[in-house]
Amino acid sequence: MSVGVNRLPAPAGGVIDRSRTIGFEFEGRHFTGYAGDTIASALAAHDEWLISRSFKYHRPRGVLTMAGQDANTLVQIGDEPNILADRRPIVEGMVVTGQNYVGSLEQDRQSWVELIGRFLPVGFYYKAFYKPKWAWKYWERYIRRTAGLGTVNLDAHHGYFDKEYVFADVAVIGGGPAGIAAALEAAKAGLEVVLVEDGARLGGSLGYARFDAEGVRGRQQLRVLAAEVEANARIRVLTEATCTGLFADNWMSVIRGNRLYKMRATSVVVATGSLEQPAVFKNNDLPGVMMGSAAQRLIHLYGVRPGRKAVVLAANSDGYGVALDLADAGVAVQAVVDLRAGEDSSAQARAVRLRQIPVYLGHGLRKTVAGPGKHHIIAAEIAAVEGEGRLSGAAATLECDLVCMSCGYSPTGQLLHHIGARFAYNRASHMFEPAVLPAHAFAAGSVNGTYDLEAVLGEGRHAGWAAAKDAGGQVGGEPARPVDKGAAGVTHPWPIFASDSGKDFVDFDEDLQVKDLVNGIADGYDHIELLKRYSTVGMGPSQGRHSAVAAVRITAKETGRDIATMSVTTQRPPYRPEKFGHLAGRVFEPERHTAMHHRHVELGGRMMLAGLWYRPAYYGKKEDRDKAIREEVIAVRNNVGLIDVSTLGGLDVRGPDAAEFLNRLYTFTYAKQPVGRSRYVLMTDQSGAIIDDGVACRFHDEHFYVTATTSGVDAVYRLMLFWNAQWRLDVDVANVTAAYAGVNLAGPKSREVLRKVCSDIDLSPEGFPYLAVRMGTVAGIPARLMRVGFVGELGYEIHVPASMGEALWDALMAAGKSEAIRPFGVEAQRVLRLEKGHIIVSQDTDGLTHPYEADMAWAIGKSKPYYMGGRSIDIQNRRGLTRKLVGFTLDDPNAPVPEECHLVVKGPEIVGRVTSAVISPSVGRVVGLAFVAPDQAEHGKTFDIKVAGGRIVQGRVVPIPFFDPENKRQEL
Amino acid sequence: MAGLDPAVKLRRSFVYRTLQSLGADFQPWRDASVAMTLGGSVESETAAGRKLGLVDLSPLPRTGFKGTGTVEWLTEQGLRIGADSNMAYRQEDGSLAARLAPTEIFLIDSLAGEGRLVDRLNAAWSWGTEKPRRLVGYPTPRADSHCWFMLTGEHTPQMFTKICGIDLRPHKFQQGQIAQTSVARNGTIVIRDYLGALPAYHLLTDSASADYMWMCLTDAMQEFAGRAIGWSALKRLAGSS
Amino acid sequence: MKILNCPLNGPRNISEFVWGGEVKPLPDPTAISDLEWGAFVFLEDNTAGVVREWWCHVPTSFWFIAERNTVTDEFLRTYPASDLFKQRVDFKAPPKRAGDKPAGGAQ
Repeated sequence: MSVGVNRLPAPAGGVIDRSRTIGFEFEGRHFTGYAGDTIASALAAHDEWLISRSFKYHRPRGVLTMAGQDANTLVQIGDEPNILADRRPIVEGMVVTGQNYVGSLEQDRQSWVELIGRFLPVGFYYKAFYKPKWAWKYWERYIRRTAGLGTVNLDAHHGYFDKEYVFADVAVIGGGPAGIAAALEAAKAGLEVVLVEDGARLGGSLGYARFDAEGVRGRQQLRVLAAEVEANARIRVLTEATCTGLFADNWMSVIRGNRLYKMRATSVVVATGSLEQPAVFKNNDLPGVMMGSAAQRLIHLYGVRPGRKAVVLAANSDGYGVALDLADAGVAVQAVVDLRAGEDSSAQARAVRLRQIPVYLGHGLRKTVAGPGKHHIIAAEIAAVEGEGRLSGAAATLECDLVCMSCGYSPTGQLLHHIGARFAYNRASHMFEPAVLPAHAFAAGSVNGTYDLEAVLGEGRHAGWAAAKDAGGQVGGEPARPVDKGAAGVTHPWPIFASDSGKDFVDFDEDLQVKDLVNGIADGYDHIELLKRYSTVGMGPSQGRHSAVAAVRITAKETGRDIATMSVTTQRPPYRPEKFGHLAGRVFEPERHTAMHHRHVELGGRMMLAGLWYRPAYYGKKEDRDKAIREEVIAVRNNVGLIDVSTLGGLDVRGPDAAEFLNRLYTFTYAKQPVGRSRYVLMTDQSGAIIDDGVACRFHDEHFYVTATTSGVDAVYRLMLFWNAQWRLDVDVANVTAAYAGVNLAGPKSREVLRKVCSDIDLSPEGFPYLAVRMGTVAGIPARLMRVGFVGELGYEIHVPASMGEALWDALMAAGKSEAIRPFGVEAQRVLRLEKGHIIVSQDTDGLTHPYEADMAWAIGKSKPYYMGGRSIDIQNRRGLTRKLVGFTLDDPNAPVPEECHLVVKGPEIVGRVTSAVISPSVGRVVGLAFVAPDQAEHGKTFDIKVAGGRIVQGRVVPIPFFDPENKRQEL
Repeated sequence: MAGLDPAVKLRRSFVYRTLQSLGADFQPWRDASVAMTLGGSVESETAAGRKLGLVDLSPLPRTGFKGTGTVEWLTEQGLRIGADSNMAYRQEDGSLAARLAPTEIFLIDSLAGEGRLVDRLNAAWSWGTEKPRRLVGYPTPRADSHCWFMLTGEHTPQMFTKICGIDLRPHKFQQGQIAQTSVARNGTIVIRDYLGALPAYHLLTDSASADYMWMCLTDAMQEFAGRAIGWSALKRLAGSS
Repeated sequence: MKILNCPLNGPRNISEFVWGGEVKPLPDPTAISDLEWGAFVFLEDNTAGVVREWWCHVPTSFWFIAERNTVTDEFLRTYPASDLFKQRVDFKAPPKRAGDKPAGGAQ
């Protein structure tokens, strides 16, 4: 089975396993590669270079970086779009397709777009598709289809994604020479080190770059360092792991496979290396044009010959190393074209000259020439450099199928940007380098503008030492810092040769040419951040990795500014795209069950969410909802019902100052409340708005058991502790919500039922009257009992230890069998309470409702020195009401039932809204609560409600309660 | 299902249905019933517990006290409580007094679960008759407010990294240390204990969240082939090593 | 994610905390004008620089005070509320006429 015509013999191919071949499909054709191959390397081995079509012009694109840093290699695998083909390893049977074409990758029917390219200038969308305004919605569908990336399968199956926390004393991001040196040094200090490497194995440039004429040094160094890391138990290595974000206090997101690691380190060393930068010339984007480092990766990592005849465009000694590597791999190197006029003095350059490879000093590339269908280059035109960005007219054409660009680098500084490092332009190295790092963060290697290998290793050791010291490790003597970083002459200040006929791409992702940026600046977007948004430079999938610096250079030149006063655009997380699965996978969504939860489910309860709690809305089938609710209401009114109220908040407030404490937090007065009695509690915030209610049961002089709403109790508890942290009263508050299960046994027959299971409390109306509270036992379970009137019937709230809540439910259901006891849900309770005119906080009130508006002046203790919100309530009351909550009904029996939030209107004006309304089974008509204008609030007055469809329905203000107005039933 | 139906007792574990579905053998214990095994033999569950085991101890005794005077009163009652908060102090009978705050103690019984100290303290507390009243703290219903799970075995620390954002590895989170934190986004008290050389952790969390927490734990445990085990295996792990 | 050092529980992810606003004394509501009270309820100083803030550790409902530089978003120190609020606060009954200045309410 062929593994490709371009496959090189070992030792080339350091990451592939030649003992295992893997078959896969690309664009309907079968290919074979080795284990360790990426999709792109396996295809390259078969001389397949066309991998994708560009975003806008559908130009053929191929390998650019071989490092997963560009958008040229985005492919689709089954349901998964936008996969980096030069990063994703091949697996047996994988089916890979190109994306963003019509027809086939080779014969893209949309490549005609390029022909009209001159009609698609920067800002074209804004200029063409938004006028007239309605036009966009028609254009949008077409444009999205034409310029789309991959195809998302909306029915894609769920994958298992999860998360893991990682803790490190020192985290090192980047497993190249600097990172490895830093990790080893930090581990020496006895610290736990986590080393995160994006690639399949450690090494970085050591695995592929040429540091000497002979081409042995990198790999030798790597073997030594990798063995040291391997032997060090303090270093945890995560390979194929991408740190996508570095956040405050060294919090990092690291993605590896389907897992998101959330890593926290005391100190961090960023050793993420640098990105080789492309040169700009005509047809610099076509398959066959790649970074020098990409060619070296193909050779040394994957054992693939990157071409047959090559031209190296160099502006540094690395380009000469590339030429040597190519020659060693059997590529005919036609020329090294050096942008610089002077001779390179490196050992690599000397070796090139010794091998008699032609070197053109002071020359650049005017363009590459493409073969049929532009699928690959066949030649390159070179010319002498006359000045910045200018080539002489005379040109030579060199036959070649490979152009390697080695013109300079830019630090992979994204993570440093994330934590607010400041970058500055270094006039000597012509790069934007980190200038100021935040505390607890260190940088080493080429991300820090250091290129000489010895200097990189030295800086790595120093950063590791400094990070260890910062993290509190036992460090030895400070390692020397490199004196010469070796950065001079590495990066060319102007590798940009604009072509009169265009196709000189600055941004491959967005198909932006030099003139697009020049025109954008001419349109007035002359700041790099503005230009970015207008032209979309740097906004594609590779986020400006290869275009940001060139865009700044062009902007500086066009606007006549000094580049050293400028900066690259801000880089934000994530460093590489994250899948929704990584973010959403295995999200924890707490839910709370009451002790009787499973009984409700067994009884057919339709469970609904109330905060985090599950509560039965009603019992019965969905289609019988209204009937079930009505029957539950009737059962409570006529007979006896049982509702689970465990979700109500419960707070034990105890201590000598308990009553004083409640006086300050609630509107009512509690000092004189007798033991054995309950009293309503209403809480307002400092602005006077109602925020919670419940009852306070006094079980002892110094003990109130205070209930709170299901969704409000946590906030109420927190508020209580907040104020007492300042007041220092002698009171203790315990949130016992989950500790007590509770039921409300309600209905005319509730006393009969309770009697069967409760013998130690006098249940007679005199012995246990309305609003009294008692402690006793129910069915052998210790219980707190209170006679309350929320649903307006004789009833008992019974609170018991949560672990016995189910036993209580069982006992009461059994005891009530002969009375035909019926469980009822939240919906029936809402109807029952509305018939009694009781408000539900946050349904019948909003964030501004104060007690006078809600007609609850009766709940205010007016002679208290202080209560929360009291001063605001006084002010609001003095100023007069702007609305009032009233009970209403409808005169017209055929009118539709208003819904919550239907508006109360007065002519054209909105004066209020309906907060609750229902057809009352007990009084046989619509009853509801609504905010109306103060002059509409008198009993008997009418007001207009605008219901669905804009129809006006007349409401009439009536006294509440609607049912049993004298409250006789609850006091039985 | 062997043994007792847990529903014959008034007090029931917050996760008894899940235990039933795992084949629990329930035996009566005080006013509740406890799952002795969960479908496996004691030997196999003990072996599983050495790797990664989850035990429901919710039916076992525990209590708490908080407020002004708590520690002074408990000290009078014979408890030994150190000065540091967020530390658990072992009592003579093996129970653990977890000091959650300067004036707050959560007392969990020893794994034998006989409840002597818990019962004695619950019976001893009263409002008193002195005027002005002497402040001795207030009881808190810890047997009901919190479920009580225990995690055992060598993979426990690694399992925790999937659900808890603080570093609970044994060398960073030592014997007796308490973390009141968020586990699977749920407020939880984690207490580091040990079973001989095996790392073990008590998890005390809101009883209403017991079903949820059990689900999160068993999901996170899957990767390490962890499983739920019964009280018998736990007692063997505690006694044998 | 930032780390906040809780005086009771030690350093924790900021997601375990809720912010409780600037520390500002509760004025005696009977001794100030409507406008002054309104300013207390609705206005924050929003200082650029070091501020004292309330923070609550949610799993323990523990309130404490943090000093934070709002410009650099750095926590400078944290301490229990009892370091600042040492005495019991009491309120006197509202005065019969304006101008009476009751003690208490102030910190």
